[in-house]
Amino acid sequence: MAADQWKADENLIRLFQTIGHILLDKDLEDSHSGNISTLWTDDQGNEKIVITAAGSQKGDLESSQICFLSATETDYGYYKASSETDIHAKILSLPGVRSVIHAHTKDLTIMTLDQEAKPNQPSPFIPIDSLGYYHLNARIPVDWVQVPCGSPEMTRIIPERLGHNNITVLQGHGTFARGNSLQQALFHICIANNSGYIVRTAGRLGIDIHKLRKQISNSPESFFPYPPLKYNQNPEEMIQIQGEEEIIKEIKKTAARIFRSGLSPFHTGSLSIRGVDQMIYAPKASMPREIGGPITKLALGSDQDKKDREQNIHQQIYKHTDFQTVIHCYVPEAEAVSYFVPPGGKNLMDRLVPIDAEGSFFYLVIPILPPDFDPSALIRLLHDYKIVVIRGGGVWSVGEQSLSEALHHPSSLRDICLYIIGAYERGLDLKKLQPKKAKQW
Amino acid sequence: MKTSALKGVHKKLLEIDLTHSKIRIKKLDKRLLQNYIGGRALATRLFFDAVDPGCDPLSPENIIVIAASPLIGTTAPTAARGHMVFKSPLTGLIGSSNCGGTWIRYLKSTGYDALLIKGRARKPVKIHINPESVTIQPAEKVWGLNVHQTTQTLQNEQSPKARVLCIGPAGENGVKFSSVMNDLNRAYGRGGPGAVFGSKNLKAILVEGNKKTEFNKKEIFQAGKDQAEYIMKAAPITKRLLKELGTSGLFKLINVMEMLPHHNFTDNVHAPEQIDQISGERIKKELLNRPGACFGCPIACQRHTSTNGKTGEGPEYETLVMLGPLCGIYHLESITKANYLCNELGLDTISMGGTIACAMEMSEKGILTKQETGGLALSFGRPEVLEQTVQQTASRQGIGKHLSEGSSRFAESFHHPAFSMSVKKMEIPAYDPRASFTQALGYMTSPTGACHLRGGYAVSLAFFGGTKEIPRFSLLQSPIAIRNMQNLGIIQDSLGICRFTGFAFSTEPWSRMLRGVTGYEYSSAEFEKMANRVAALERVFNLKAGVKHSDDALPPRFSSESITVQRQNTSLSFQSQIQLRENYYRARDWSVPEGIPSKKILESIECEEI
Repeated sequence: MAADQWKADENLIRLFQTIGHILLDKDLEDSHSGNISTLWTDDQGNEKIVITAAGSQKGDLESSQICFLSATETDYGYYKASSETDIHAKILSLPGVRSVIHAHTKDLTIMTLDQEAKPNQPSPFIPIDSLGYYHLNARIPVDWVQVPCGSPEMTRIIPERLGHNNITVLQGHGTFARGNSLQQALFHICIANNSGYIVRTAGRLGIDIHKLRKQISNSPESFFPYPPLKYNQNPEEMIQIQGEEEIIKEIKKTAARIFRSGLSPFHTGSLSIRGVDQMIYAPKASMPREIGGPITKLALGSDQDKKDREQNIHQQIYKHTDFQTVIHCYVPEAEAVSYFVPPGGKNLMDRLVPIDAEGSFFYLVIPILPPDFDPSALIRLLHDYKIVVIRGGGVWSVGEQSLSEALHHPSSLRDICLYIIGAYERGLDLKKLQPKKAKQW
Repeated sequence: MKTSALKGVHKKLLEIDLTHSKIRIKKLDKRLLQNYIGGRALATRLFFDAVDPGCDPLSPENIIVIAASPLIGTTAPTAARGHMVFKSPLTGLIGSSNCGGTWIRYLKSTGYDALLIKGRARKPVKIHINPESVTIQPAEKVWGLNVHQTTQTLQNEQSPKARVLCIGPAGENGVKFSSVMNDLNRAYGRGGPGAVFGSKNLKAILVEGNKKTEFNKKEIFQAGKDQAEYIMKAAPITKRLLKELGTSGLFKLINVMEMLPHHNFTDNVHAPEQIDQISGERIKKELLNRPGACFGCPIACQRHTSTNGKTGEGPEYETLVMLGPLCGIYHLESITKANYLCNELGLDTISMGGTIACAMEMSEKGILTKQETGGLALSFGRPEVLEQTVQQTASRQGIGKHLSEGSSRFAESFHHPAFSMSVKKMEIPAYDPRASFTQALGYMTSPTGACHLRGGYAVSLAFFGGTKEIPRFSLLQSPIAIRNMQNLGIIQDSLGICRFTGFAFSTEPWSRMLRGVTGYEYSSAEFEKMANRVAALERVFNLKAGVKHSDDALPPRFSSESITVQRQNTSLSFQSQIQLRENYYRARDWSVPEGIPSKKILESIECEEI
């Protein structure tokens, strides 16, 4: 094991450590839970399974706690490897799968609990957000097992589920995610728990989840503006841009903040800074510093990829305004609040009125557009409000000059939503908390 | 924009022909006022339509337009600024200067939105405007008096309530960077409007009136105003910093950011103890009597000071640096006294400092002899020469005769033009362009020559822009960033409000206030369109006046000599300047390389092809 380990690309070790740290940081693992694995080919051409050690602390992985095992036979590496190695090995043998992460996705796990007599077949989890809906095949399978840790039952069921799904939930335990890379597996884990969090938050706001799910299942296109692009983590996309170090630094800083502050799940959203005839575009706005993501230079006004609605909106904003920066992200609290019908109201809100001091200081109101929004309406509202929530489609914000400016808006929005959610939960009258000036401004 | 009855304006232009002593009141078209709002935009449009760009700036053919905005006369915070447009004798291009105080409010209370002056009086005159009458009166008695004497004499003799806009001896003598002053110490400073007044034999304009600014819907105005004041009271720069330290509070910050010029922009190195000698903090401790404010301004950045028995205003940041470290001088009393003198004589302190620094460097390099300086020891670090040099410049005596032409003509006349740190013959203000490419591009492309205000105040973006802070050395971002800053400046100048409000908020509250006053549905998007039109008018005027794209460039020092910023040697290469300039033209939809606005833009300003 040790010999293999030292031959391994240092980057692989670092990636394991980073992902472990992220899982702990995002509360997707406790101190020792979960496990991470990937396939790796040594310099002899032998494919190996690389997996975290049993009992290792994922947030502080030592290189000695990353085990290299034979993918085809039992070898000494199994002594130290995770107790769920068999499940990983089986999942890794599925076509197109190169990585697996098992995490304790608490929000999703909580939202998949039921009170039925066991054994039973729990209902699948249906996301109400576009990321979860499209990236996770509209429904996440949930299974109950008698022995929920490393059991043969798990070894049978989980790989079977992941043969057709990117993610599967083990009721009361956690989630297994597959990916063609560790990044993609992490992406699936994050998206899944985010979906759980949104449903959980919507529940706190008294939103009728059952009805909403039914409506979404009947007509998803009426609830989500457009399907997000498929996840792609091609290293060749990570173009090195010559010069402009300051801007690249800004992009990385902003993307890392979006990720760490929970303004958008891992590798979702998009952000850009424009020049005169080019924009520097990051198709994934939420990027931890240690993992990064693609940053490319694109011609402005070229409409080079018309299929990419996300990129087109950036282009349209620049075409019709003087803004220099654009961020699109999926603030989970805003996703939930956008379905909120305030007490006494009949309709979904077309604007958020902040009730907290700083929110109401910076924003009169924050407009909410329906999923079938007209881009020109979005642009007009961005002109006046700098941030717009799209129901079922994330949050768009702009900066007159800097990325920091555009970042400030979704960051404030998250706080604004948290205060609204908290005040509602406490039974406070939101109307009374709304500043009078908001009605005038 | 909805068209309905337009409020907040009188819809009147007062046109005065000094050659024929004719006074006409013209109705201002509703569409014109709607599209060009007021202040800089309105003044530029009226000027553009009335003047021959090829005229001699000091001839009767040159025109001066001063305009107020619909917000003037309301309680909108800081709405006390007027805008003056003229052909500049310093640059030969458009002159565009903005000034606070109270004068513009009084002009509007006479019942006029704008004032257009043309021709040349045979003898010195003053103009007296009130709602009932407009008179052109002899002014021989005050000709030759300085700004303070003129103001006091006219108020004593004519009307203590009147507000006085006047020139000092510098303007009378045709100093190419002489200013027009109001409220004693507030200046339409840059580009030599004083000389244009002087060339017309116009000494002063007195205004007094009682006409109110009407509102369309006061509650909408009030909502915007509340929002603006609410934020201004919270933002540290507008609530506290400028009141306590004035603009000179910037001094230490700009030094820390390694942007503070020294010795005619040869470097940016200053000893810490020298910095302490003249900082904003020191001014507060040693000179400040009280802060003061323009009408309706909660910021109160004015410095009412005294030193060694003299009282006056200043020094503000630009003056402090241009008459100070740029000349190697760190002697607060000398700088302050020279500042007072410039105010009294009616001189732009930025160009004055830049011209003295140029002369000092040339003198140290042996290009200027003692004979040519009239025995004046013009070398860096000699505070004792400041007052005398200023005096001689205003009176055009001794070396002052040459200095009064500005640094560009001065250095040219001694066959060393490279020592002038100017763009389009206007002296570069107190921020080294090598320390921020955005600011550099602002100097390069400012329609009036190197001006940090007309060119876009990018320094704020780089160092205290809060969330708006942008990279200092981005070739990609600078062209759009400076265009946006220039446009914001045009909007602020057209609304008659202060740049400093931009440290608290952007244009949204202003659109509400303007909507409440005028009844028109203004928005940030409408403001941007207006700003683009004004930028195009200014460019077209300059092109017709003979400007070339190669004039949008920095002096050679900034590409050939480096300064140290963030531990790196920094300069702005000629190639990078071209790249920045051409991308700026593209950002404005102007042609490359010439910088001619596109047909679409020309149509938007109703201008035929150039």
